[in-house]
Amino acid sequence: MSSVAVTPPKVSFGSPRSSLRSRIESSLGEGLSSTLLLRERAAPLTVPTGIATLDALIGGLPRGALSEIAGPSSSGRTGVMLATLAAATRREEVCALVDASDSFDPASAAAAGVNLERLLWVRCHERLKPQVASVKSRSSTNAGFAFGAALEQVLKVTDLLLQGGGFGIVVLDLGDIPVESARRVPLTSWFRFRRAVEPTATVLLLLEQEPCARTCASLVLRLQPEAIFASNSTTFLDPDQLGPILSSHSVGLAGTGPHIPKSNVVNHAALLRGMRFRAKAVRSWAQRKPPQSTGISFELRTAL
Amino acid sequence: MFACIYVPDFPVEVMVRAEPVLRDRAVAVLEGRPPQVRVIALNEKARLLGMAIGMTKLQAAVFVETSPSGAAKAQVPQGGSKRTDTTSHSKLAILRQCSLQQEISAHAALLDVAHAFTPRVEDTAPDTLLLDLEGLDRLHGAPAKMASELTARVMAVGMEANIAVAANPDAALHAAQGFHGTTVIPGGKEAKRLGGLPLQVLLKGFEMPAQKKAAGKASQRGREKLREQMLDTLKRWGVCDFRTLALLPEHALVSRLGEAGAQLRRLARGEGMRTLVLCAPPSHFEEAMELECSVETIESLSFLLNRLLEQLCARLEARALAAHELHLRLQLERRAGDEETTTVENRVGPFFCSHNVAYKQIVERVLRLPVSMRDSKVFLKLLQLELAAHPPGAPVQKIWLLAVPAPPRSAQCGLFLPATPGAERLEVTLARISALVGERRAGIARLLDSHRPESFRVDRFAVPADHPKTILSPTMWNVNNHPPLAMRLFRPPCCLRVCLVDGRPDRLATETKQTDREALQGQVVWSAGPWQSSGDWWAENAKLDNARAGQTGPWEREEWDIALARASNNGAKGEGGNVALYRIYRDLATGQWFADASYD
Repeated sequence: MSSVAVTPPKVSFGSPRSSLRSRIESSLGEGLSSTLLLRERAAPLTVPTGIATLDALIGGLPRGALSEIAGPSSSGRTGVMLATLAAATRREEVCALVDASDSFDPASAAAAGVNLERLLWVRCHERLKPQVASVKSRSSTNAGFAFGAALEQVLKVTDLLLQGGGFGIVVLDLGDIPVESARRVPLTSWFRFRRAVEPTATVLLLLEQEPCARTCASLVLRLQPEAIFASNSTTFLDPDQLGPILSSHSVGLAGTGPHIPKSNVVNHAALLRGMRFRAKAVRSWAQRKPPQSTGISFELRTAL
Repeated sequence: MFACIYVPDFPVEVMVRAEPVLRDRAVAVLEGRPPQVRVIALNEKARLLGMAIGMTKLQAAVFVETSPSGAAKAQVPQGGSKRTDTTSHSKLAILRQCSLQQEISAHAALLDVAHAFTPRVEDTAPDTLLLDLEGLDRLHGAPAKMASELTARVMAVGMEANIAVAANPDAALHAAQGFHGTTVIPGGKEAKRLGGLPLQVLLKGFEMPAQKKAAGKASQRGREKLREQMLDTLKRWGVCDFRTLALLPEHALVSRLGEAGAQLRRLARGEGMRTLVLCAPPSHFEEAMELECSVETIESLSFLLNRLLEQLCARLEARALAAHELHLRLQLERRAGDEETTTVENRVGPFFCSHNVAYKQIVERVLRLPVSMRDSKVFLKLLQLELAAHPPGAPVQKIWLLAVPAPPRSAQCGLFLPATPGAERLEVTLARISALVGERRAGIARLLDSHRPESFRVDRFAVPADHPKTILSPTMWNVNNHPPLAMRLFRPPCCLRVCLVDGRPDRLATETKQTDREALQGQVVWSAGPWQSSGDWWAENAKLDNARAGQTGPWEREEWDIALARASNNGAKGEGGNVALYRIYRDLATGQWFADASYD
């Protein structure tokens, strides 16, 4: 590279960044290599998740990027995924779901409004035979070995789908894969996926228990269960206290009590009305380091 | 105007079509059963070497000898795995066994070309077609342009043909058989242009009036004999070409040769006019290849399939068609210990009627495509993946490839429509995914009209071509503006041991030690239920219907929704909202408890 004599430009601290940049470039003229220029990163196109409060928090899922939704069981990950898929199929996009643990429920998806005709469902998990093993052998190492084949399939299938192109959303559902196994996925795989989707309009969505793509993810959303709604007594359960307490909606319903009547044999779907979840944006394309306190709550209701 | 497509040395061209590398080689085609194997056709290079039609295989083998020991290279397989294409061998002849299947395929390809040009086609002979070009000048231009267009189209299907255009069909036929390349005879100049042709051309396809009623092989030999007699007679008179025959007086010719004499004179003057006997375009798109040496590996088989697919796609392209189904049939080599297989389907059509394959094992694979395609590379990839998933299991002796034609798909893409996967690429991707995860494990989930849990089937995935109807959002979503709670299913359901208190689940544990269901045990902190459901007890055919869907028998179950406290990372329960919601049920037929889903 040829050396260039650079005259330091006069910088006024109050000037905007863009004007400063233009002044530096004009002073250097042709001598500044384009590779050294700071490029303004355009805001990515986003797709809505279909949940208004969540979209207000994260601004939608970025296209051409890897997004992660992490949370334990019953944290609303699948509900968010189905809402996103429903919104995408409503836009006539073709989506793919790589199901690592073969846990996708088509009935739930149809109830969520997903057009199943536009969803390619890949069932990766080849159910392993029940392992007759001692308690000691049920270590995390053994679990990782058991899910290794499924993860390998997931990675290969995802590679094929991203190479094929044309999908609006590709979902990798690792929701039931143990954290130890998911973390064994090499970082190079996530880099490869990120590079593969970058020039496309595909949203690569990863469902998992704990974030594992690290810096490759443009968006990391962490979900937690917050409350369970039970309609028979209009109560919701506060998981922190492991017991039913009265909700704000049940102020006028004195006498329902904190305990569910044991003789109350009714339609169970009427008993469970829904759940409320807490969402936190750990990393976002819109905000490089979002404050950890940033979070919203959203509800998912049973499809009666 | 009429055009004639004539393929000289048709059996040789058939071989060259199957193996394009033979185009620059001396090729002779053999026919017959040992020891009566004789040369029935050869190309110009083989003639220059000194080979002749009627030679025995032993005589022909002299022209393919490469070593002093006299080992013949005649056993070059059509698959091309043992080629003699080196420079030192380029002057040697190559012998091939005549293949009826390939000749029929080549003839069908010619018919495809002709029918793509004009609907009025006469199937004169396997190597000869006559086309009525009346009214086509607006579409294709002048006769010379039409002739060159026909030449190009015939070359596209892998053959070289003589094309002649003349004012009447017989003149076009004789010009194509007599002149090499493209010939255009203006109207009224037939006698002058055809004058120099030898009489063999005239008598080659000529049928004596007395012989027209006769048929069969005996009559074929009789015709040949009469033609030879006629040729001898004319030669004794000093008549050797069209011109001298045309100059003979008609009355004198009729008095000596009868009606045939007058017809021959008329043909020699290029004045014959007749109505074409039109034929229907072939509806069978099949290519076949019989191998002299069996092919054992899929890689070698892929080369042959590629060749057949290219021919098939060229034929489909000539007819502006595509294929939505591919049938691959492989005849496997019979090994010692193999049972005799007599399960040969009768579907194969006219091509295989005369072939006895009853004692050969036939393997058939069918590729059903969601959309019509015509890309030979895509077909080849799909067949490779199919064969990799289902290997033939024995060396392959014969290959048939049949394409079910369909109109090519027409899609109007919009600027503002979202991008969708390309059909061809998607099909290859799906085939690769199926090879990874297994059959029927990638596709569209279709819900069945049943309350039975997991009542769905997985169908083949294809991008919907038409715009879907407006999808109505779920009622709950509309009313509350909350998406519905989703479920994650456990496949298969996890066996549980449930401890009941007052008839409600109080504590549960997994029946077997499953590493992925460790969380599914402990104290039940909340429960709702039961929800009793049953089905299929009313129908006598329930077992049959369920068997089709992969499920059997009537079912009856009692469902509960339960909340379990989940252990956090530090081992303490209940901290940080760690509660998981599951659906468990008791099979009322067996009394066994299962967990089949979690709410998420």
